[in-house]
Amino acid sequence: MGLRVLPLEELHERLGATFGEFAGWRVPMYYTSTIEEHLAVRSSAGIFDISHMGRLRLRGAGVLEVLEKLYTKRLSKTREGWMSGPTLALNEYARVKDDEMFYKVSDEEWLVVPNAAVADEMARYIEEWAGRLGVEVEVEDLRSDYALLALQGPEAERVVEELGGSEIASLKPLQFITNTSLAGAEIYVASRSGWTGEDGFEFWISPGEAVKLYEALLGRGVKPVGIASRDSLRIEMGFVLGGHEYGEDPRVFPCALSLRYGLGAIDWKKTGFVGEPALRACRREGVRWVRLGIVMKKKYARFIPRQGYKIVVEDQVVGWVTSGTYSPVRKRGVGQAYIDTRYAILGEPVEVVSDKGRRGEAKLEDFPLIKK
Amino acid sequence: MAESYKVKAGSIEFTVVKGLLYTETDEWVRLENGKARVGITDYAQKKLTDIVGVELPEPGDEFSKGDPVATLESMKATADVYAPLSGRILEVNERLYEEPELVNKDPYGEGWLFVIEPSNPDEAKELLDDEAYVESVKKREEGH
Repeated sequence: MGLRVLPLEELHERLGATFGEFAGWRVPMYYTSTIEEHLAVRSSAGIFDISHMGRLRLRGAGVLEVLEKLYTKRLSKTREGWMSGPTLALNEYARVKDDEMFYKVSDEEWLVVPNAAVADEMARYIEEWAGRLGVEVEVEDLRSDYALLALQGPEAERVVEELGGSEIASLKPLQFITNTSLAGAEIYVASRSGWTGEDGFEFWISPGEAVKLYEALLGRGVKPVGIASRDSLRIEMGFVLGGHEYGEDPRVFPCALSLRYGLGAIDWKKTGFVGEPALRACRREGVRWVRLGIVMKKKYARFIPRQGYKIVVEDQVVGWVTSGTYSPVRKRGVGQAYIDTRYAILGEPVEVVSDKGRRGEAKLEDFPLIKK
Repeated sequence: MAESYKVKAGSIEFTVVKGLLYTETDEWVRLENGKARVGITDYAQKKLTDIVGVELPEPGDEFSKGDPVATLESMKATADVYAPLSGRILEVNERLYEEPELVNKDPYGEGWLFVIEPSNPDEAKELLDDEAYVESVKKREEGH
């Protein structure tokens, strides 16, 4: 099967992007250098095209009932004009189908951004549950109507101000507005949000207008940033990704509690959601695995922990790596790992062992793995 | 510097150098008075993205053709480098321990990895020329 192509592909070609595959999409991996792009987001500002991600609009009298059934957070507490999340959709084993951000436009109109790999599946899943609950929900896939851009970095607010976007610049974290404009480009949704650990904004914007906005941002010195940096940025922060830190198969992934997702993603006062019995069983019995950060010691700074590498203490295998990268900020290999809770002592040294038996020493740390 | 040219395979544009020999696993070989200098191709460094670490063999180590000799760590992946010819390591590029990014910046020049003294020079006949290498990459990039 051919790869799906982003609406702004031509722009990325023009910018000299090197492309790669992500979740069935042909995406710009990097433009000049992943490390340069990563550091631009940490120190000034970068622009991502994340249009490979899902974009659903949910409308109808039954939306909230379905959302309360499928997600671990009480979305009914969300105010209009605010985002809620991230929150988790679980399966019956309390394993995670997806982690998502919701936008509440009104009680009967919500927007949601599923991860790329499950975007089609989540749309069907929501429709299926609306049917099962006998309520009315219209699910619209907006991926071809709007591109999704993310402007991220400490300079993001200043850039938006300079381009005449005072309304957008004054948004509070997780607040959004609809039908606004920036640099003469019409925007459907502008929110103060992102997935890098930096300040920033995300835009749902029609492809034609997106090119206009993108070019205006380039004119202000904002750096094009590829998907490769998005991964290294999220790993430094300890943000989780499907297929790495979570997934549906209980033989591969621990229960959702082991993620230590935090951020109120799970509301224990809430009852009746899919996966709740298994999640409570996991809580009652205590978790076997817990997600922690690993940072390579100086001598092994250039050893990169990769998904599937083992974590060893003395002669015992006590965990496995779920994601890893080189941290341009720490100048070390860093990663995320599941650690047997009996060995999950922050600051303790562990060994990381590759599939080919290469070994490096690391230390267990909590997230984020950089100072924020 | 020998003549080089740019090629596009799938979405990746990369440089190949005439007169070098290549492997299916993206190493290049430059024969220099019976010795073989080895590096990875421009295509390989672009696929790996930023290279942040290298593990090189010790001078004196002996390898058979196809053995893993070195490891490259990039932002994206950990990659083995295979011996394009059987032989003994004469020299390694120690600069790369401090500046692994040279492999990205100058893959056919300052980013070389090691020099081998071939034990069976006839093996060089099995390596690819630039045109055959380009075909091999195109097959991989455009084949699926």
